[in-house]
Amino acid sequence: MRIHQLFLKLLNVTSLVLIILIFATPFVWMAVTSVKSLSETITFPPVWIPETIRFENFTLAWESGPFFRYLVNSLIVTFSILILQFLTIVPAAYAFARYQFFADRTLFALTMITLMIPTQLIFLPVYLQFSSWGILDTHLALILPFAANAFGIFMLRQSFKQVPEELLEAARLDQASEWKIIYKIMVPMAKPTIITLLLFSFITHWNDYFWPLVMTTSDSSRTLPVGIAALTNVEGGVAWHIMMAGNMILVVPILIMFFFAQRQIIRAFVYTGVK
Amino acid sequence: MRKPNFYLLVISMSALMLTACGENEGESTEATESLSNDPIEIEYWYAFGDKIGENNEALVEQFNEVQDDIIVHAHYQGNYEDLHSQTQASIAAGNAPHVTLNEIASMGAFAEAGMTEDLTSYIEEDNIDLNDFVEGLMGNSYIGEGIYGLPYLRSTPILYVNKTMMEEAGLDSSGPETWEEFEEYARALTNDEGGVGMTMPVNIWFYEAFVKQSGGSVLNDDETEATFNEAPGVAAVEFIQRMHDEGTIKVPTGDEAGQIALQDFTNQNAGMVFSSTADLTNYLSIAEEAGFEVNTAFMPQNEQYGTPTGGANLVMVSGHPEEEKMAAWEFIKWMTEPEQTITASTNTGYLPMRESAIESEEMESLYEQVPQYKVAVDQLEYAGPRPLNANYAQAQNILNDAITSALIEDNQTPQEALDEAAERINSLLK
Repeated sequence: MRIHQLFLKLLNVTSLVLIILIFATPFVWMAVTSVKSLSETITFPPVWIPETIRFENFTLAWESGPFFRYLVNSLIVTFSILILQFLTIVPAAYAFARYQFFADRTLFALTMITLMIPTQLIFLPVYLQFSSWGILDTHLALILPFAANAFGIFMLRQSFKQVPEELLEAARLDQASEWKIIYKIMVPMAKPTIITLLLFSFITHWNDYFWPLVMTTSDSSRTLPVGIAALTNVEGGVAWHIMMAGNMILVVPILIMFFFAQRQIIRAFVYTGVK
Repeated sequence: MRKPNFYLLVISMSALMLTACGENEGESTEATESLSNDPIEIEYWYAFGDKIGENNEALVEQFNEVQDDIIVHAHYQGNYEDLHSQTQASIAAGNAPHVTLNEIASMGAFAEAGMTEDLTSYIEEDNIDLNDFVEGLMGNSYIGEGIYGLPYLRSTPILYVNKTMMEEAGLDSSGPETWEEFEEYARALTNDEGGVGMTMPVNIWFYEAFVKQSGGSVLNDDETEATFNEAPGVAAVEFIQRMHDEGTIKVPTGDEAGQIALQDFTNQNAGMVFSSTADLTNYLSIAEEAGFEVNTAFMPQNEQYGTPTGGANLVMVSGHPEEEKMAAWEFIKWMTEPEQTITASTNTGYLPMRESAIESEEMESLYEQVPQYKVAVDQLEYAGPRPLNANYAQAQNILNDAITSALIEDNQTPQEALDEAAERINSLLK
C-alpha cells in the first residue's frame, strides 16, 4: 500500500517536472542565447553555458532601433485597449447576463459569431476604411478595432450569471442605481475573471505582430514586436544573440504582469463566481 | 531568401484592385497645393534593419544636411517582400512613398503595373553617365524602353571556402576554378566524421548561376518560355545530383535551409558554401571567433563563368505631383553618386555600383585590407540580370520543388522533373 502511494507520488512528480521542462526550456534557451556571443549561438553541439555572459547584447539590441519609441507605443496601445475593453465589456456582459430586451439572444449570438471570424478575414475592409478616414499609421488604427472583445463579454457574462439574484434585489431595495450595482457588486465579485481577461488581452495585444505590421509604416507608431522582428531582417546571417536579447526585453513586462496577477488567474479558473 | 508575408501580399493585391480609381482623386488635390519656399518633404521606404538600416538612415540624414530644398523621411518596412507589399498597399491607399527599393527581380512587376516611374527623361536631362554604372548591375533596370531604377544595394553569390581546412587537405586555398576542380575539392574535404565538402540549399539564385555557367539560361530572352529543361539546365541539376549521391555535398532542406548551410560552414562541417557578398562581414567575424580563415572565390566555371546579381534598386513611385517627383529624383541621383556608393558599400558589404567608385582610393584601400571583398567586384564581369517576369516569383517555387525532388527522391530523373516544372511554368509566364 505504501509502496503503491509512493509510486503514484513519484509518477506525479516526474510528470510535473517533465511538463515544467517542456514549458521552461524555450524560455531558458532564449535567456541563455541572449547573453551568448554570435559564434556560440550557432555552434553544434549547442552550448548551454556561454563562456562570458555578454549583457552588452541588450544594449546592442536596444540601440539597434528606436526601441524607446516602440516601447512607449506598445504601452500606449496596449493600455488604451485594456481601458476601452474594460469600459465596453462590463456593461455589455451585465446586460446580456441580467436583462431581457428586444432580440437579446440574437444580439448575443451575433457577438459570439464575431469570435469565429479571424482577424485575417477582416483586416482588408478595415484597412481600406481606416485609409479613407486617414488614420492609417496612427495609434488609433491599432486601438480602435480592439475596443470591444467578444470573448471577454462571453466569459464575464458567465461569471455575472453566477452572482445570486438576491444580492441584486437587496441592492435595488436600498435604491442602488444600475451603475452602482455594476461597479460596487458585480465587478468586485467577478474580479478574478476580469483580471484574467485583461491579462489575456494584454498578452495578445502586447505580442501582436500582424496588426501593427499591416497598419503602420513609420517608427512613430510601430510597436515592440514589429521592432524586434526587424532584428531578423538582415540579408546576411541572423544575429540570434541580439534577436534573443530583444525578445527578452519584449517578454519581461509579461512576466511581471503574470507575477502580480497569478493568484487571481488561478482563482478565476478554479471557481468562477460565488459559492 | 525569406518567404513572402502572405497577408501583406493579400492586402496589397486586393487593395490595388479595390481602389484603383481612388488614386486619381488624391493626385488632383495634391496638385492644387500652392507653391511655396518651404522645403519639399518626401518619403523614402527601405528594407532591412541592422547595419543596412543604419546605412540608409545615415545617408538620408547626410542628404538632409547638405541641401535645404528637400527633406527626406526614411522609414524601415521589413524585408523586401514586406516592403513591396507595404508599397503596393500604400499606393492603393493614396499614401505612397516617393522613393523606395525594388528587389531586382520585382522591377518588372512594379514598372509594368505603372507603380514606378520611368527615369529616362530625368537621367537624360541631368546628363547622368550611365557608362559609369557597372554594366552587370544595370540589367534589371531596363524594362521595355525605359530605365525604371538605379542600382543601390547590390550583391552577387560568391564561393566561400574554409582556407584552414583546404590547407590541411593539401588543396590550393584560393579555391576551385572549374566544376571538375570543385568536385575534386568537395571529395577531398569530405571525411568519415560527417564533414562534407560543400553545403548548399536548393536555391534558384545559385541555380541561375549554374545554368549560366553551362551556357544556358533559365528562361528564353522574351521570358515567355522556360528553357531550364534544355541541356545546360539539366546538366546543372545532374552535377549537383552526382555530388549528392557521392556524399560530397550536403543539401539542407526546409524553411531554415539557408541558415543550416551557414551553420555547416561556420561549424566547419562543410569546407565550402555559396553565399551573398553581403554576408562576407558576417562570415569573417564568425570565422575569426571560431579560429579559422575564410577565402572567397568566383563561383566555379563550367563552360564559362557566370552569376546572377541580387539586392535592390532605387525606384521612384508614380502618382506624385511634379514638384515632389523632382525632389525624389534629386534624392535618387544623390544616393547613386560615387561618394555615397562608396559609403554604402563600406558600411554594408554590398557591391559598389559605379566604376569610378571601384577605382577610388577608399575602395582600393579597403580591398587591400580585406582582399576577400575584391572577388565579388571582379566577378561582376560575368554577372547578368535576373528574370523580370512578374510571375517569376511563383515560377521559382515550382522550380525549387522540382530540383529538390530530383535531388532527394529517386523516382524522377533531373530531365523528367525539369520537364514537368517547365510545363507548369510555361503556363504561368504567358
